[in-house]
Amino acid sequence: MADFVQLVVLGLLAGGVYVAVGIGFGLVWGVLNIVNLAHGALVIIGGYITWQLFSAFHIDPFLSLPVDAVALFVLGYTLQRGVINRIIRAPLLFTFLLTFGLNLVIINVLLLMFGSDFRSVTPSYSGQGLELGNVVVPYTRLASLGVAILTAAALAFVLNRTRIGLAINAISADRDAAQLVGIDLRHAYAMTYGLGAACAGVAGGLIAMIQAITPTAGEPYTLQAFVVVILGGLGRVSATVVGGLAFGLVEAFGQSIPGSGSVFANAIAFGLMVLVLVTRPQGLMGRLR
Amino acid sequence: MSDMRNGVSPEPLLEVRRLTAGFDAGPVLFGIDLEVAPSELVALVGANGAGKSTLLGVLSGLVRATSGSISLAGEDVTNARPEVLVRKGVAHVPQGRRLFGTMSVEKNLLLGAYLRRDGEIRGDLVRVLDLFPALKDKLSREAGTLSGGEQQMVAIGRGLMARPKLLMVDELSLGLAPKVVDHLIEVIQQINREGTALILVEQDVLVALDAANRAYVLENGRVALSGKAADVKEDPGVRRAYLGL
Repeated sequence: MADFVQLVVLGLLAGGVYVAVGIGFGLVWGVLNIVNLAHGALVIIGGYITWQLFSAFHIDPFLSLPVDAVALFVLGYTLQRGVINRIIRAPLLFTFLLTFGLNLVIINVLLLMFGSDFRSVTPSYSGQGLELGNVVVPYTRLASLGVAILTAAALAFVLNRTRIGLAINAISADRDAAQLVGIDLRHAYAMTYGLGAACAGVAGGLIAMIQAITPTAGEPYTLQAFVVVILGGLGRVSATVVGGLAFGLVEAFGQSIPGSGSVFANAIAFGLMVLVLVTRPQGLMGRLR
Repeated sequence: MSDMRNGVSPEPLLEVRRLTAGFDAGPVLFGIDLEVAPSELVALVGANGAGKSTLLGVLSGLVRATSGSISLAGEDVTNARPEVLVRKGVAHVPQGRRLFGTMSVEKNLLLGAYLRRDGEIRGDLVRVLDLFPALKDKLSREAGTLSGGEQQMVAIGRGLMARPKLLMVDELSLGLAPKVVDHLIEVIQQINREGTALILVEQDVLVALDAANRAYVLENGRVALSGKAADVKEDPGVRRAYLGL
């Protein structure tokens, strides 16, 4: 029983990271119809910012998360406005190729700047945890889950309660009609990608506290974000939260099967994605549009 | 067919000169000349594929002009961006309503005022509901669940919320019952009387010609005929081709 509870706790905590990685990816996919293959690379930029601030200035990694968000927002806005907007009406394959190219560019710039060494952020409290009976809850992971949920809530607030959120929902529903009410498409697209990138930056900061990062460490996260968004369902932040937590749970239980490792856990998670696609293509929480 | 232009005020609100436009597949409009005076109701009629919707698209900035010029209140706005044109007072109610279907009626209407920052948006919402009382108890409904006529009301209302100088309505009557069309035309005329210039694009030529002051007949991307709506209605070619008389 204690093992079961421990697995649920670990799964939900791991799910926090997937939530953080998934919400930005899902926003960009749902609104811009871009499967952003550079998402993992954006995540890792956030990780390096947190690492740099921690190692050079001893800034607590949680305090550097807003810096990650702002920096990645600016980068994302600029990328969309300057580069991706040019092919936004092109077929999906073009955005695949472009974001794949961006992914390679970012990885190689990171290699130039930081080399390929493993970098990790280890604040004084990193090894500690809350012990509840036989169940251990690591502090950093617990806080990461909290930050991920807060980030998701903040994104949902922006999308549902602000003027730019209204514009983003409008372009997502009908691009031409949105233009006809006076929404500047280029700005709204860039804001969307910028918000997605900001979420990626926060995710990267969280990931840097949990694992050692290298310039290529983001690639699995692109794939996992894809699964998370499909699991939860495209188009709503809350659906991605459910998808992320579900993915974390599945992974935790997959890893607990005797003789299996993380590879097998991934196979189970992707198997679940295929199952969801076949039986419930709108995702666990999604609406058919 | 001869030019029967009449009653155009010396300073038109909208002035289109030798406008050419099209898509990758080829040009659609060839040298369009068109004028709309302030507070005039102009009908734009013609067969399917004549270029009516493309013309509205160019006027609202969705489609690029390849040559020619568009000026609004004396200012050149050729190929201005859609949001710039909305700000300058052009509102386009597109064919097929194009509402934000999963959003509430109220949100759709308020989105029409997206660029406005004045304090009179709520007051204008009340005015739109006075024009379309049927929408009053449907403000929180998802726009996509409304009937066709109600959706058209929301679409027109969304256009009005921008406080346009020129309102362009594409295919007002499409798919609607005659009674609903009559009602909408009355509202359109009331909007016009209150000072908004209107371009009414219609495949139902009779509906448009009866409502309008002046009319343009588009054929294959060219203005085939223009003049007072009553005169256009009496034109033998128009009677044969569009009115089945």
